[in-house]
Amino acid sequence: MIGVDEKVTKLTFKFQRRTEPSRLGQALAVPVALVAALAVSSILIRAAGANVAEALEAMYLGAFGSQNALLETLVQATPLIFTGLAVTVAFRARIWNIGAEGQLVAGAITAYWASVTFSGLPSIALIPTVLFFATVGGALWGIIPGYLKVRFEADEIIVTVLLNYVIQYLLSYLLSGPWRDPNAFFIQTRLLPEAATLPILFSKSRLHLGFVIALTVAFVAYVLLWKTSLGYEIRALGYRPNVARHKGINVAKTIVLVMAISGAIAGLAGGTELFGIHPRLRLDAMHGFGFTGILVALLGRLHPGGVVLAAILFGALVNGSSRMQIVTGVPVALVYAIQSIVILFLMAADGLSRFQLRKR
Amino acid sequence: MMSDLLQATFVVGVLAGMFRVATPVLFAALGELITERSGVLNLGVEGCMLVGGFVGFLVAILSGSLWAGVAASMAGGAVMGILVAFMSTTLKVEQIVTGLSLNLFASGITFYWYRVVFRSDEITNIPTITPFRPIEIPFLSEIPYLGELLFSQYALTYLALLLVPVIWFLLYRTKQGLHLRCLGENPRALDMRGVNVTRLQYLAVVFGCMMAGLGGGFLTTVSVGLFIPGITAGRGWLAIVIVIAGNWKPQQILAAALIFGFLESLQLNLRGLGQELPYQIFLALPYIVAIAILIRGRMRSEAPLSLGVPYLRE
Amino acid sequence: METLIRTEELTKRFPRVVANDAISLDVRYGEIHCLLGENGAGKSTFSECLYGAYQPTAGRIFFMGQQVQISSPADAIALGIGMVHQHFVLVPPLTVIENIIAGTSSLSQLVDYRRAEEEILQLCDQYGVELDLYAKIRQLSVGEQQWVEILKALYVKAKLLILDEPTAVLTPQESDKLFDVLQEMTREGLGILFITHKLKEVMRVSDRVSVLRKGKLVATVDTASTTKEELTKMMVGREIVFNVEKETIPSVEPVLEISDLRAMGDREQEALKGVSLTLHKGEILALAGVAGNGQKELYEVLMGVRSASSGKVLLQGEDITNKPTSYIMSRGVGHIPGDRLNEGLITEFSVAENLILGEQRSKSYSSGPLLDFKKIKEIARSQISKFDIVTPSEDTSSGTLSGGNQQKVILAREFQRCSLCLLANQPTRGLDIGVIEYVHRQLLSKRAEGIGILLASDDLDEILDLADRIVVIYDGRIIGILDASDAKIEEIGLLMAGVEETDP
Repeated sequence: MIGVDEKVTKLTFKFQRRTEPSRLGQALAVPVALVAALAVSSILIRAAGANVAEALEAMYLGAFGSQNALLETLVQATPLIFTGLAVTVAFRARIWNIGAEGQLVAGAITAYWASVTFSGLPSIALIPTVLFFATVGGALWGIIPGYLKVRFEADEIIVTVLLNYVIQYLLSYLLSGPWRDPNAFFIQTRLLPEAATLPILFSKSRLHLGFVIALTVAFVAYVLLWKTSLGYEIRALGYRPNVARHKGINVAKTIVLVMAISGAIAGLAGGTELFGIHPRLRLDAMHGFGFTGILVALLGRLHPGGVVLAAILFGALVNGSSRMQIVTGVPVALVYAIQSIVILFLMAADGLSRFQLRKR
Repeated sequence: MMSDLLQATFVVGVLAGMFRVATPVLFAALGELITERSGVLNLGVEGCMLVGGFVGFLVAILSGSLWAGVAASMAGGAVMGILVAFMSTTLKVEQIVTGLSLNLFASGITFYWYRVVFRSDEITNIPTITPFRPIEIPFLSEIPYLGELLFSQYALTYLALLLVPVIWFLLYRTKQGLHLRCLGENPRALDMRGVNVTRLQYLAVVFGCMMAGLGGGFLTTVSVGLFIPGITAGRGWLAIVIVIAGNWKPQQILAAALIFGFLESLQLNLRGLGQELPYQIFLALPYIVAIAILIRGRMRSEAPLSLGVPYLRE
Repeated sequence: METLIRTEELTKRFPRVVANDAISLDVRYGEIHCLLGENGAGKSTFSECLYGAYQPTAGRIFFMGQQVQISSPADAIALGIGMVHQHFVLVPPLTVIENIIAGTSSLSQLVDYRRAEEEILQLCDQYGVELDLYAKIRQLSVGEQQWVEILKALYVKAKLLILDEPTAVLTPQESDKLFDVLQEMTREGLGILFITHKLKEVMRVSDRVSVLRKGKLVATVDTASTTKEELTKMMVGREIVFNVEKETIPSVEPVLEISDLRAMGDREQEALKGVSLTLHKGEILALAGVAGNGQKELYEVLMGVRSASSGKVLLQGEDITNKPTSYIMSRGVGHIPGDRLNEGLITEFSVAENLILGEQRSKSYSSGPLLDFKKIKEIARSQISKFDIVTPSEDTSSGTLSGGNQQKVILAREFQRCSLCLLANQPTRGLDIGVIEYVHRQLLSKRAEGIGILLASDDLDEILDLADRIVVIYDGRIIGILDASDAKIEEIGLLMAGVEETDP
C-alpha cells in the first residue's frame, strides 16, 4: 500500500506530498479522467459481449451524428445545466446540497399547480408565471435544509437526501390522489395545458426555450459568484467559514440565501423540463437529474462555463446510449456507470496531483 | 380500527418484523460506527449496501448457495471499502464527495451489470432465489407471542444483534479498540506513538463497508429474494443517521436501529389493514423521524473530533 | 558525562527550504541541553528528525554509541527517545490513563488497566505529580495536560527527553515546577533536549546551549560562560536594541469601556465572569494571562462574534454590546486575530481580496451589488507598497506568502480600518524577530496617532516593552491592573496564576 507520509515503498521511489497541488496535474486531471473512464467503458462493453468500436461509434453518432442528434443532446443536457449550476452555487459555499433531486421535483410540483391554477392566461404570461412558481417551489424546498442547518446545526447532506425521499412520496400522493387523471390507467396527471408548454427553438427537434434559459442562468451564476459582493461572501464562506464569521459576514443569512438560490435553480430545472418535453407530470420521469447534476458540477470544476460543457458531455452520453443499445445491445444503463466513473477518476487524478514521485 | 391495532397478533407481528427489518441497517450502522471512529466519514454506505446486495444475489443465484451469497456480499462490500479507503486515507480526497460519487457509481454499475447478466425485461422473468427461512429455535419458538417475537428470527438477525455487544467489547476493552478511538479523535497522537495509522484506518473502513455489504446481502437473500436496482431505498442514509442518533455508541445505535425497524414494520403491517390515511405518509415517516433526530441530535454530540479530516503527518 | 545522542552533519531539505543544514551536536547523559533559535530557525524540524517523524535528507545519528536509523516514532520510542510536542498530541475525550498507554508496545490485546494504573502512579510519586488518572483530558488544565505528555514519555522509559517549547502555556510558577522536575530527572541520568526561544529559560535551566540560525548551527556553548546578549547576537546575527522609545503619553479620554462583561464559552461554561476595564486613547493596554483564561472569548465578544450574556461595552460612549460585527468594524475597530489562518486570512483568496475582507459591501469597494475591481486594485497596490508586503502581485493567492507577509496583509487591512481602537491578539506569534520589530514599531505609531490598543500577549517581555498599563486576566476576570513602569515579572506571574494580592 502506498503510505502518504514519507514511507518508502518497495521500489527505490517514494511518494511525497507536495505543498501545493501540481498545476500541471490539475490541468491534466479532466482529460486523464475522461481517457481512463473511456478505458473502463471499453472493458464494460466487452463484458456485455459487444464490439467496443462499434458501440462507441454508435454512441458518438447517436449524440453528434446529425443535426437532430446534436439538438437532442442539448435537450438532454438542459436539465443537467440547471442542476449542475444549482449544485455549483451551493458547493462553492461548501454547503453540500444533495437535494437538487428533490428541489427539482418541488419545482415541477409548484409549476404544475401554477399551470392549472392560472390556466386562463395566455402563453406569454402563463409561461413566465409557471417558471416563476417553479423557482419558488425549488427555493422553498431548499430553504428548509438551509434553515435547519442554521438553527439546529442539522447536517445538510443528510437532511437534503432525506427530503428527496419525502417529496417523492408527496408527489406520489398527489398523483394518485388529488391530481390524478381519472381517465388514465397509470399514476399521472392530465395532459399539461398547451399554453404553458415552452416554445421549441428548432422545428422538428425537441430543443426548447429551457436551453436558452439554462445558458442565461449560467451567465448570471458566473456574475454572481465572481463579480458581486454576495458572491465574494459565498466563496469566503466556502473557503474559511470561521474567518468569514470573524469579518462580519452574516453566515446564517448567507447559508439560507445560498440554499434558496440553489433550490430555485433546481426548481427551474423541474419546471423547464416538465413544460419543455413532458406531456404530463408523472412519477419517475425526471429521476436522477439532481444526482447527475452533482457529477456535472464536479466535472465542471464548480465553474458555470465548465458546468455547461460537462452537462453537454453527459447529455451526449445519455442521448448516444440509446442508439448504442439499438445497434449493439449494450444496455443503456452503462451511461450511469460511466458518469460516476469519470468523477471517481477525476477525484483520484486530483488527489494524485498532490503527490510527486521522487527518487529516494 | 383501533381494536385491530391493539390485537396481540398485530403487535407481535409488528415487533417481530421490527427485528428483521432493522437487521440490514443495523449491520450497516455498526460498520459505519467503526469507520467513523477511525475518522473517515463514509457517505457511500448506500452504495456499499447496494453492491453487497447485488453481488450476494448474483453469487447466490449462480452458485445455488445462499451462504455463498452472504459471503460474497461481504466481499463486495470489502472491495468498495478498499476504494473508499484508498480515496480517503491515501489520496486524501474530500470524503463527502468520494462517498456521493461511490453511491452513484454503485447504482450505475449494479444496474448495468444486472441488465448484462440477466438480460431481463422489467415486467416478466425477474430472476429470484428462494430466500432464507427463519430459524425456529426448538421449544422456545413455540411459546405464544414471545416465541414468534424472539425465537423465530433469521440467523443473520441473531448475528446482527450479537454483534452489538461484540463491537462494544472491541471498542472499550481491547487494544485495537483503544487505538481506534484515538484515531478518530486525534490521529497525530497515535502516529507520534509509532502506531501505523494508515493501516488501522484501512482496516476500519474495509470492515465498515463489509458490514454494509452484508446488510445489503441480507436484503436480497432474506427479505426479498430478488434484486431490484435501487433496492436499498435510502437505508444506507438511515444507517448514517442511526450512527448520529446513537451518539457513536453501540448500545444506542441498536436502540435507534430498532426504532426505525419498528416504524417500517408498522408501515408494512398497516397496509394490510386498509385504513384511510394515504400510505405515503407511513412510507415517509422514517425519513421525517430521521430529520427530527438530526434536529435534536447536535447537543452534546460525541462525534469523533477528526471525523472527515484526512491526516497528514507534516 | 558521556554522550547520549549525537548527530553528524544532520541535514533536512524540504522542496523550498533547507530546514536543517549539516547540524552536528550532542546531548549528554544527565544534562539539560537547550536548543535556542528564532521561529523558523529549524529547532522543531531537528527534533522531529531525532524522533523519527521526519527522515533526515543526509547525516548520521548516533544513539548510545551506535549509529541508528530512526525511520518512525516507533523506532525512536524503542530506542528510548521520548518527545513532548509543542502542540499537544492528546485525545481530549479519553482519560489520562488511556492517553498514556495508547500505542505503547507493552499494551496487551486485552487492556490491563489495573497494571497500567500501578505503573503510572509509581511514576507520579517519583516526580511529585498529582493527577487523576481517570479524568478526561478535556477536563484538565493546560498545565496538567503538559504533565500527561511528559508521563507519556516517561512511561515508555525514555532515556532522552525532547521538549518543544514546553513553557509556552505555563505560568511562571508552573514553569519553575517543571524545571525542578527536569533537574530531578537529570540527576537520574536522563538527557534532556529543551527547545525554546526564550533566553531567560536558557540562562536559568540549561547546562549547555546550541544556537540555530536559519537552519545552521551557530555554536554550542556552556551556559555558564555566556550571556543573554551574546546568545541573542548568535540567534539573530546582529545587535538587537532591547528598549523601545515611546514618544507620547496616553490620553485620559476613554475609547473603550468594558463593564462587568459576562459570556459563555464553547463548552457550556462561563468564560467571562465579569470583565471590567477601560482603554484610553493613545494607550497600549496589555492583557497578560495564560492562554485559556478568557482572552479569546473577550476579543470575540468585543468584535461581536460571540454574544455577551450581560454587561456593557461602550465605544467612545456608544453602546456596542452585542452589535453585529460589521457594525463594530464600521465604527472604526480593528482586530488582529490570534490565529491568523483561522480568523484573519482566507488563504485561497488573493492578497487584494484579503485586503478588502469585511468591507466587500462598503461604498469604497463596490457599487450596488457589484464589486468595483478598479478601486480594489488601486488600494491593494498602495497597501502593498506602504507595508512592504513581499508578493509577486496583488492577485497572488495569499496562501503562498510567508507567515510574516501574511501578517502584514492583516496589519495593512486592520490599520486602515481602525480609526478608534485596535484589538490585537498575539500579533507577533510565530514571527521572526525582524518582523516582530516591525509590528512593534507599527503599533507604537498607531498609539502615537491616538488610537487605543488592547494588546494580548503571552510574551511578558513584549508586554513590558510596549505597554502603558497591564491588566492580568485569570479565570474570566481581570485580576489585577498594573502600571507598566513599575511592574515586576514576579508580580505579573503570580497574578497570571490566580494569586491575588489580598491573599495571605
